Amino acid sequence: MAEILRLSLRQILGRWRALVIGLLAAMPALLVILIRVLGESELAFSNETIDLIIDGMVIGGIMPIVTMALASAAFGNELEDRTLYFLVLKPVARVSIVLAKLLATLAVAVPLVVASGVAAAILLGAEVQVAGLLALVLAAGVTAYASIFTLAGMLTPRAIAYGLVYVLVWEGLLSSIVSGVRYLSVRGYTLALLHGLDEEGFAVFESRVIEFPAAIVGTGVVIAAFFLLTLYRLRTMDVP
Amino acid sequence: MSASPRPVIVVDKISKWYGSVVAVNEVSLTIEPGVTGLLGPNGAGKTTLLKMIEGLAAPSDGAVTIFGETPRNNPDLFRRVGVMSEHEAVYGFQTGRQFLEFSATLHGAPDVGAASARAIERVGLADAQHRPLGTYSRGMRQRMRLAAAIVHEPQAIILDEPLNGTDPRQRLEFHDLMRQLADEGRTILISSHILEEVETLADRILLMVSGKLAASGNYRAIRAKLDEQPYSVRIVASDPRRIAAALIELESIESVTLGSANDVMVLSSNVAALQRSIARLARDRGIRLERVEPMDDSLESVFSYIVES
Repeated sequence: MAEILRLSLRQILGRWRALVIGLLAAMPALLVILIRVLGESELAFSNETIDLIIDGMVIGGIMPIVTMALASAAFGNELEDRTLYFLVLKPVARVSIVLAKLLATLAVAVPLVVASGVAAAILLGAEVQVAGLLALVLAAGVTAYASIFTLAGMLTPRAIAYGLVYVLVWEGLLSSIVSGVRYLSVRGYTLALLHGLDEEGFAVFESRVIEFPAAIVGTGVVIAAFFLLTLYRLRTMDVP
Repeated sequence: MSASPRPVIVVDKISKWYGSVVAVNEVSLTIEPGVTGLLGPNGAGKTTLLKMIEGLAAPSDGAVTIFGETPRNNPDLFRRVGVMSEHEAVYGFQTGRQFLEFSATLHGAPDVGAASARAIERVGLADAQHRPLGTYSRGMRQRMRLAAAIVHEPQAIILDEPLNGTDPRQRLEFHDLMRQLADEGRTILISSHILEEVETLADRILLMVSGKLAASGNYRAIRAKLDEQPYSVRIVASDPRRIAAALIELESIESVTLGSANDVMVLSSNVAALQRSIARLARDRGIRLERVEPMDDSLESVFSYIVES
């Protein structure tokens, strides 16, 4: 599995993809620095900045988009280049192939997204413990998105286009205005996990979060279900 | 009388259809140790059949076994089977050596370095092994892919159009390598749409046309059947009537038809004899030949003949 993981890392980290997602991940921290340079020295880790930067930018934008760009390429590149046969005609269990692809995404996306969110939080003056919780929850959110988009990359060559619609409409718009959607939304789970772990620090999310246990179960179910669906797809598809 | 060797690959009434399109239609065959050529025109269903044999595609009906095991979702079987697909894509960022070591590692080769070196040596790419695959010529890529298919010393080897992009010298080397592997007792199945590629190599030929197995057996018997087919040849000459009159006297000519331009359509059962005779006939009569072109010697027409006869 280590060999496939190494190969997958090399595949998903094409020069341009790495540069673009790196810049995207740096945006929240750069924005905080820019606001400070422009004279907003009072900027703090407050309800307003948590809502705007942590939720609006990191959880609502950077986390799904960075993860989607990497996860959809995990199998997408193999299918586009028609190299998937090379892996499946080896004495390697299908589950090891799927796991290696998922881990390759996580190995890049988790550090990037966590660094993106934590750097912004620290620059805003968040306490280390709060930043630690944020890192933990972002890692869970990235894992859930990675599981979803790994399957998407296997199902369609247009995973990025469909993924953007899903992120903007379902995760962005509908989960904000329709409370029931939050039970089926990774963003909803992420906000609920943050709030559940630190109700005081993330009180700004109080009016729009689902129950903490539901968020834990939801995150776990999404990760497991989409992993198993990807495995099922790999076992049943006709490999090009 | 010696007993027939036990078949390594058994295909039993296998079919594959996509909606209303039947790609492979109730094909049954067995493949024993030695070299077997799977021959057929483009679109005959060879690759679909191979994909079902390799387990990459699920049959719509029927069954396949290799060494008595079903290949679909059976990764362990590929410790004994090596495959080179029709797709020429490789991981371009890997060097040839890295590609081989990657393949050997996944196959669980006990000594990855030695296995890779041996396979690279067998395909004659030792000098280029440390170059990225992206810089290889098409023929070199094919040879390195072949090395990856045999790096784990498989007992059964399935190669889909392995000679695409190779030059004549590389084809000769390929033939030698296949003979060596066959002499070691391995079972080799090679697909091709070019008869000449496999006729000197394969112990047995399977002919596939329109998703069906049209003929199988020794290549000489099949070749003899192919040679019975009349070919159309178009001849453009300065005096078509006189060349037509001369041609009709030849034994190998079945019919001659005058065309609308300065051309003559000839149906010949022996194109080689026609080609040898026509230059002399034209020279003796002072006729200038402008063009002599076989019209339907494509494999498609050859296979059509086999199927129809």
